[in-house]
Amino acid sequence: MERKMKTALLHSLERRVEAHLNIVIGAFQNLPPERLLQQAPGGGWSIAQCLEHLNSYGRYYIPRMRQAVNNAPDAEALVFKSSWLGDYFTRLMQPGVHARKMKAPKGHIPPAALDPARVTAEFIAQQEALLLLLRQAEKKDIGKIRIPISISRWIRLKLGDTLGFLVAHNERHLQQAQRVPA
Amino acid sequence: MESAAALAQLRQMTDRIRPLPGEDWEALAALWRPLSARRKELLTVAGQQEKYLYFVLEGVQRVYYLDDDGREATLVFTYAPSFGGVLDAMMLQQPSRYFYETLTPSAFLRASYSALADLMQQSLPVAEMVRLGLVQALSGLLERLAEVQSFSSEARFRKLLQRSPHILQLVPHKYLASYLGIDPTNFSKLINRIRI
Repeated sequence: MERKMKTALLHSLERRVEAHLNIVIGAFQNLPPERLLQQAPGGGWSIAQCLEHLNSYGRYYIPRMRQAVNNAPDAEALVFKSSWLGDYFTRLMQPGVHARKMKAPKGHIPPAALDPARVTAEFIAQQEALLLLLRQAEKKDIGKIRIPISISRWIRLKLGDTLGFLVAHNERHLQQAQRVPA
Repeated sequence: MESAAALAQLRQMTDRIRPLPGEDWEALAALWRPLSARRKELLTVAGQQEKYLYFVLEGVQRVYYLDDDGREATLVFTYAPSFGGVLDAMMLQQPSRYFYETLTPSAFLRASYSALADLMQQSLPVAEMVRLGLVQALSGLLERLAEVQSFSSEARFRKLLQRSPHILQLVPHKYLASYLGIDPTNFSKLINRIRI
């Protein structure tokens, strides 16, 4: 498994979250509600559904990560090494790498009827919280803190892998949302 | 941004307020240092001193008040080219009652207030420029207070868009709603009505 400098990894995740925020603040939040609820051809998700799907992960992970980071002691860990499983999950989410369609797990399937302004605002608030978390994590050992995954509490990923997974997953579905035709 | 270009922007600003003789400008220009900040960084925290005057080069920032129930009220947005920081705390040398925070990645020039205060003692033109700049800020605040008390929420929103046409694409709507004193649900209704 590749070893990475922790701060370089966290900074690159921060830049990606910043790019995601620019898409949602610059474009999605200003679209009319009908456009946000417009389904993709063949019953595919609307932009609002893509964002709500991501929100369901953020609602699970962000408070847990925040609590874990707050409880962890400061640590001088310079390098981060993904676990085999963490690396696998992150690669699976990476857009373009495995572009095949996947089925959303139970509890993460977004309904079609949504309040698009509320969904968009929640996504933005989550990304702002994620930015602060990425900065706090610079002072911690992100290989030692572990977070149970949302679909099985028996599997616990390293914080560094959980952050990488979440950002890659956001990227995947933001790209999907950008492809929804008008 | 290059420091020469940044100082040129600052000079344009001070020239608009009160043109400074060469020597006074040189002394003022020497006080500023570049600073960049990421999104959602707190530059000034309530309860602490405001040690700096900011000149905004890039990005959007806000001054906000946090009440006892944890609710935020956005009082002022700052963006280029304008001065920023919590000006009353700075000039009165008292703990700030407000936060100053970046809402997007930002670039500034910033000057230590103690150095600026020293220069204001020595240079009448600089002192005059600062005084006139503050009066302009006061005038902007009174204008906004009149809007908040007398205008409909739709008129307040239109006024904001007129002053800052790009703000909808730069700032999350929740901060705009907070600035306008509208709850987020009514803000999205308002924006949909105005769009048509």
